[in-house]
Amino acid sequence: MSIDSNYAHPDALVTTSWMADHLKDADIRIIESNEDVLLYDMGHLPGAVHIDWQRDLQDHTVRDYIQPEAFAALCSKNGITPETTCIFYGDKSNWWSCYALWVFRLFGHEKVKIMDGGRDKWIEEGRPLTREVPHYQETAYPVPASRRDGEIRAFYDDALAQSRANLPLIDVRSPGEFKGLVTHMPEYPQEGVLRGGHIPGAHSIPWKQAVNADATFKSAEDLRKIYETDIGLKPDDRIIAYCRIGERSSHTWFVLNYLLGFDHVRNYDGSWTEWGNRVGAPIEKSI
Amino acid sequence: MSYPAKLSAIIELFSGLPDPEKRETLIAYADQAKSQEPREGELFDLEDVRKDEECTDTVAIFLRLDQQGGAHFRISLGPQVQTLTRAMSSILCKGLEGVSPAEILEIPADFVPKIVGAELVRLRSQTVYYLLTRIKSVSKVWLQRQRTASLDNG
Repeated sequence: MSIDSNYAHPDALVTTSWMADHLKDADIRIIESNEDVLLYDMGHLPGAVHIDWQRDLQDHTVRDYIQPEAFAALCSKNGITPETTCIFYGDKSNWWSCYALWVFRLFGHEKVKIMDGGRDKWIEEGRPLTREVPHYQETAYPVPASRRDGEIRAFYDDALAQSRANLPLIDVRSPGEFKGLVTHMPEYPQEGVLRGGHIPGAHSIPWKQAVNADATFKSAEDLRKIYETDIGLKPDDRIIAYCRIGERSSHTWFVLNYLLGFDHVRNYDGSWTEWGNRVGAPIEKSI
Repeated sequence: MSYPAKLSAIIELFSGLPDPEKRETLIAYADQAKSQEPREGELFDLEDVRKDEECTDTVAIFLRLDQQGGAHFRISLGPQVQTLTRAMSSILCKGLEGVSPAEILEIPADFVPKIVGAELVRLRSQTVYYLLTRIKSVSKVWLQRQRTASLDNG
């Protein structure tokens, strides 16, 4: 299997077979990011480091991401420099690896890729895992001047303004969540949301539409049909994507940004756990 | 309420461990989850095999009662079940061995963070509590059936 050359940025993906041949490349860092908090410890790609969405990327007091100083420390600890190509992979069809990649982009790290198909595909193909935790020479990653919150991240007020202006909002949750029939993801417990439904005017395009059964991304042609032909989105549209806490919408953000070449996509990471709890937030149901 | 002796010993073991070792011990328990599955030819008094709407995969609980009325559980888990839940299946099968269903219903869930550690009990890993709930549910059904049977016989 090869990467579809019709993607806007085909170099944003690597195949599992490419990865297997480049495990020891000095200029890359393989990063595993999962939902399952102990999965890395159970076995990971040889040489891969673990970056946890909550422990490493989020502020532990305020609902926000880490600050630039902490990001620089995280990269330094893992032997990453601004020149390092970070290749992310993980469980859940790469939800959390896309999330981690998006956070790396928040801090302006340019060289990022996803291993198509993620952890499950690697294992399915019988490729090796190890429990050996690698240790890399610490680097001195420079502290980023700022976080690119205004460019690729949306907040509640941004999403509200987008809704009022009838600009494209993409709800990537399951149809039941979008309609307001349920307040939890399929196959997950409730996460403390008080109201169900969606942001008024949002399009329902579940993240899952973008992947094949083996968790690889669909072809450029298939993705264009889903997002451009069926919904009518255009590459220069200003788009906001959201889910419940921002991980599934990171996946869609990656698809729109890197695979289809949409330049103005933002991820609303507050997502439904903020919107559905916010006093006075307008909600639409479509039962 | 105090915990059953075997569960109490496991809780004590975890309580004394620093976080990295706690993690390693959880991995060791998760590795043993397969050995808690039903074995060929085993017979059970109650089987509860289902995939709840809010769960990632199937969780099957098998209960056998010994002659003293002590419960023995076997658990089989679908491949998508999280590692923490796998670890908890081993811990509960071992920790509740020989405890009566009535006693199981009284066990408080507050031991879970003592074993798992506060860092790992978080959003998207709450299913670590789920197995105890399912085990209690099986115990409750078994007790109800026993009561119904004794009424019918009486």
